Amino acid sequence: MGNVGIIFRREFRAYFDSSIAYIFMIVFLLLMGGIYMSSFFLAGAADMRGFFGNLPLFNLFFLPAVTMRLWAEDKRIGTMELLMTLPMKAQEIVVGKYLAALAFYAIALAGTLTIPVMISAVGNPDVGAMVSGYLGSLLLGAFYLAVGIFVSGLFKDQIAAFVVALMFCLFFYFAGTPLVVATTDGWISGLGTFLENYVGISGHFDDIQRGVVDVRNVLYFVSMTALFLVLNTLSLEGRKY
Amino acid sequence: MIRVENLSKDYGPVRALDAVSFEVGRQQILGFLGPNGAGKSTAMKIITTYLAPTAGKVLVDGIDVTEDPIAVRRRIGYLPETNPLYMDMRADDYLRFCGQARGLRGEDLRRRFDFVVEAAGIGHVLKKQINQLSKGFRQRTGLAQALIHDPPVLILDEPTSGLDPLQIIEIRRLIQELAREKTIIFSTHILSEISSTTDDVIIINNGRAIAKGRIRDLQRDAHRELPVRASLVAPRDAVEDELQQIAGVEHVSVLGEREGHVSVEFRVEGDIVAAQRMVGERAREHGWTVLELGTSEVTLEEVFISLVQRSKSHDGRPAAEAVRAGVSHG
Repeated sequence: MGNVGIIFRREFRAYFDSSIAYIFMIVFLLLMGGIYMSSFFLAGAADMRGFFGNLPLFNLFFLPAVTMRLWAEDKRIGTMELLMTLPMKAQEIVVGKYLAALAFYAIALAGTLTIPVMISAVGNPDVGAMVSGYLGSLLLGAFYLAVGIFVSGLFKDQIAAFVVALMFCLFFYFAGTPLVVATTDGWISGLGTFLENYVGISGHFDDIQRGVVDVRNVLYFVSMTALFLVLNTLSLEGRKY
Repeated sequence: MIRVENLSKDYGPVRALDAVSFEVGRQQILGFLGPNGAGKSTAMKIITTYLAPTAGKVLVDGIDVTEDPIAVRRRIGYLPETNPLYMDMRADDYLRFCGQARGLRGEDLRRRFDFVVEAAGIGHVLKKQINQLSKGFRQRTGLAQALIHDPPVLILDEPTSGLDPLQIIEIRRLIQELAREKTIIFSTHILSEISSTTDDVIIINNGRAIAKGRIRDLQRDAHRELPVRASLVAPRDAVEDELQQIAGVEHVSVLGEREGHVSVEFRVEGDIVAAQRMVGERAREHGWTVLELGTSEVTLEEVFISLVQRSKSHDGRPAAEAVRAGVSHG
């Protein structure tokens, strides 16, 4: 097992060593499933648009809660000194911790797979759109979690890490929404479109969720994720000075 | 094994360490002594690569901590001042994690695990969650963590803080045993702690090394600064006059006069023994009876206070003359 694997295993287990994991899973599944189902029968459509559409907004609150402890807790209880004096590279620890959060989110997301199973039983949904919807949800989560782990590395206090990560994600969420894009374009022509294409989440996520898995959309999420993981590593290295 | 040269560290505008130099040889224990906030932990954090120095150089086993920190970390076992324990983990899981994170696998891990559990005496609490352990067992678990990869260098930051006297003695004994094959730096602000564990100390105050060497030498130096006391059966004024005439005797003060004998205190500039002999001779000439003549045993507290005062009286400059014999002889 490599260094990333060792860190991953400890961090992943840590979620389940405390009650947070179970509370999170239950709330996530109840809320996501419940809100979707409450409109499902009214809409009467055999697709998951409503479900995936809610995700960027709900994940603003869920995912910072998953990442807030990743570094803030180590800083508070002193294990930061243990981790940072292990014979490992900072990026190995960052990636190990990050993958633990991602795996945790993936499990929560997998818990919602009962919804497509149910839809398939009662109707005839577009399977391709649902598959790409889940792919988009995973990519979206990967991005939010990368922002979250970076922010957690800046704070000793988990609540502060949660709130600031939420604000960061909120910025990326709103930057791509039609209202913000149109308004910004009204002020400075082209800036809103720039935000939509290169900064905001909504446009990219909506494309994938509709079943349009464009390389550009995937690249957006992957590069944003990588950017924040690199920033996290840099902030850890910078801490020494 | 460890060489520190002109090490300085700034936290923003605050200079936490100021040009500290020392050396520790193989199989040697060095005690870091100083009040809280003196810079002990900062120095240790730099040696363990947790922090980078602002200026100066640290070599561990010949490797520069800024050039190849990973190689340095492999050689060091570190117990920080805040014991780095994951409270939600079981003690055995925690130690296994630390072992794996330090590259131990399979049979090696099992062998080292068994060794540190035995050495730290935590066999019967292994299955407990760390947050259920007492302070003493937590400290031992932290020490076990520092030992798991059998490092040649151990850096222990206040390893006995918060422990009861019995536990302190146990940890001290363990440190002494470990020193047979390891190089150890440990810090404390409790002076008696040092003298019962090691001979070699470096005293840090306000980020500066104000003294280093063997405890005995430092005690001898401080001894010179202490006043000599004498009790004589003699008239007060005559004693004062006589003492002041002896070469090297200064600041004679009468402490008290009772039932025909007088107690005085004075300082000696130069040879303290010669001055004492002179006092004895004068007393004999006058036919006075000497009841007491000498200095008291110097405690480490007194050594420390005298060094701190001396470094202050030199206008805050490090007391160069206090930095006598280098620590290294390893």
